[in-house]
Amino acid sequence: MKYIWRLFDSPFWSLVRKEINQILRNRQLIVLLIVPPTVQLLLYGFALNPDVHNLRLGVIDYANISASRELVSAMTSNHTFNLESIPTSEKDLSRQVEEGKLDVGVIIPPDFPRQLANKSAEIQVFIDGVNANTAGIAANYVNQIIQQYNLTFVQNQVSTPVSTEVIFLYNPGLTSSWFFVPGVMGLVLTLIGTLVSAVTVVREKDTGTLEQLLMTPSTNWEILLAKIVPLAFLLMGDVLLALTLGTIVFSLPFRGSFLLFLALSSMYVFVGISLGIMLATICGSQQQVLLTSFFINLPMIQTSGAISPIEAMPPLFQFLSLFNPLRHYITIVRGILLKGVGLDVLWLNVLALLGFAVVLLTISVQKFRSQLS
Amino acid sequence: MKRVFSQCIKEIAQFRRDRLTLALAFLLPFLTLLIFGFAIRLESKDIPLIVQDFDRTNLSSSYIERLYATNQFVPQQWSGGNPVRDAIDKGIAKVAVVIPPQFSRDIQAGRNTSVQALIDATDVNNARVIRGSIERVTNFFMQDQGLIPDTSIITPQIRLWFNPGRLESLYIVPGTYGVVLWIFPSLLTAIAMVREKEKGTILQVYASSISATELLLGKGLAYLLIAIAEALIVMGLGSIIFHVGVITNPMTLLLGTLLFLMDSVSFGLLVGVRISNQNSAVQIVSLVGFITSLLLSGFIYPLSNIPFPLSLTPNLFPSRYYIDITRDAFVRGTGWTGVWFDLLMLAVLGFVFFNVARRLLSRMQISQ
Repeated sequence: MKYIWRLFDSPFWSLVRKEINQILRNRQLIVLLIVPPTVQLLLYGFALNPDVHNLRLGVIDYANISASRELVSAMTSNHTFNLESIPTSEKDLSRQVEEGKLDVGVIIPPDFPRQLANKSAEIQVFIDGVNANTAGIAANYVNQIIQQYNLTFVQNQVSTPVSTEVIFLYNPGLTSSWFFVPGVMGLVLTLIGTLVSAVTVVREKDTGTLEQLLMTPSTNWEILLAKIVPLAFLLMGDVLLALTLGTIVFSLPFRGSFLLFLALSSMYVFVGISLGIMLATICGSQQQVLLTSFFINLPMIQTSGAISPIEAMPPLFQFLSLFNPLRHYITIVRGILLKGVGLDVLWLNVLALLGFAVVLLTISVQKFRSQLS
Repeated sequence: MKRVFSQCIKEIAQFRRDRLTLALAFLLPFLTLLIFGFAIRLESKDIPLIVQDFDRTNLSSSYIERLYATNQFVPQQWSGGNPVRDAIDKGIAKVAVVIPPQFSRDIQAGRNTSVQALIDATDVNNARVIRGSIERVTNFFMQDQGLIPDTSIITPQIRLWFNPGRLESLYIVPGTYGVVLWIFPSLLTAIAMVREKEKGTILQVYASSISATELLLGKGLAYLLIAIAEALIVMGLGSIIFHVGVITNPMTLLLGTLLFLMDSVSFGLLVGVRISNQNSAVQIVSLVGFITSLLLSGFIYPLSNIPFPLSLTPNLFPSRYYIDITRDAFVRGTGWTGVWFDLLMLAVLGFVFFNVARRLLSRMQISQ
């Protein structure tokens, strides 16, 4: 008990109170902690969507027999393709695909009925290949739909002897926001964490109050710790904000351990704060901090797998991403939330994250202290 | 007019003196181009795959052969005893294919059987790609083994236009120009505008005979010149590094880039006039800039996938129009007929941005 009172009495505690007061008085900081994370989370969740549906289809049906019409309706039946236009000529069709007004063009030749009678008919399909990924998936769908349609010609062949039973683990409905939301949680923590901590340290330098702090009986450690602790709590608030938004708006599942999630998130918060303090010690002014933070944040976010999967990157970038703490944090969040796995699976990522937290915190504290003395 | 030029010259002189801003202006766009251009890829290659073959017959191994013949998968070792789902939990494999024990016996007896594919659907897009490949493998297998009568009565002749090799760089790199040239010129302009206010020198400007329009034109012209230099560097190096060159009449690209840079600079002026400190200006420009050019521009996924009320917002920002223009110039090659509307919209938006900035500034000049 006595010890606790001593703690409350200590200069450390009054420093913490000073920091908290300073933060609460700073309206801009509070806005910064709430608005950009919310906006980013919602926009990434809603706007980034890799679904391949409602592709615009243009058909020229020279044959115009029941079989060709059935084929077209088979293609458009499940909204992967929507019949957008019926161009008058091949030239018209190809122009519309070229200009990006149609995604897919189909030409059914005039002698389609005769070819069908000979059991070898060919139709032409053009797909706009500018978006390589969508085009690949669309081509696959075209093949499948036509194969299915072919089966209807063969009597008594409703089901095939070998079927593929596909089970999507973790995200059976293929909801795209479930991939992006954990990524954006990491992204937001990185952006806000580095910025907020850097700015609070630098402001003290800018206004010259750092020297005054040094005159007080507190040790350098206490000054720094008093700065870090309240920020860490605020940033954990951001973690919870993001999680709540994700669960309510995007019905993101939470399958793993909540405690583990909190513990590892706070570890990442320390990584973000240390990066910020390092930036602050390197830079002289707030403006420099803001601008140099681009050099750190941009590469960190882009090689983390927040937006595009790491597995799709070229090997060199996959290797570089191992040195990116954000990559490990996002893997952890996706693991805990979507996969429901624990330390037995994530231990390597956790170790890496811990390593980054310790190393970065030590370096930033050292730099900060050497700057003070 | 003379005042506009002298304002422009003063601005460039000031810009050249600040090392950090100079680095920001040229190094950062290039760095962004490199990272985006190389690291943003959507489709996984060499997907780790585990096969559990409980059948172990010629039939099942010919199925597995077909699986690897796609060149999409890399085999991973997994001791058969544990449930294969553990391997996917651990991330050792993205997909596990399980062939049941009765596989060949069922097939020979004419009974229906199935191959199970467990797919890690954390990454929705690649889950879809993997499903497509495995279903295709099953179909090939059945045709190969004569299990289904030759059903290919109709065969589609599929051709992918513009990008038959499905190179993702052709899609990403032109889009990256739209991100880089939107964010950095507007950022620099906004900082310059706000700095004038922070340092208080804006009052001298108010007191001088220069009008709001002249001030904005002068600053805008200076940063437009800097932006043009940025564009030349980014696109020049981009074409060399990523082998993505203009395949059509370059006039649409030149005009489009010029208009887009004007939009970008005007947007920077607009934010700079409205905001009073550099911190907030950088925050706002980068937040709005990244959101509008990365998320609401069709840069990564098609614009048509954005749900309704949100889907209107991309129309209000120039990135989507400019990305249409770059993709046309570098990949499609239709020229004027394909992009005239985008060019028009870039001009309209630039006009709107600049005029709003002008209005705001003249109102401030009077009120102070």
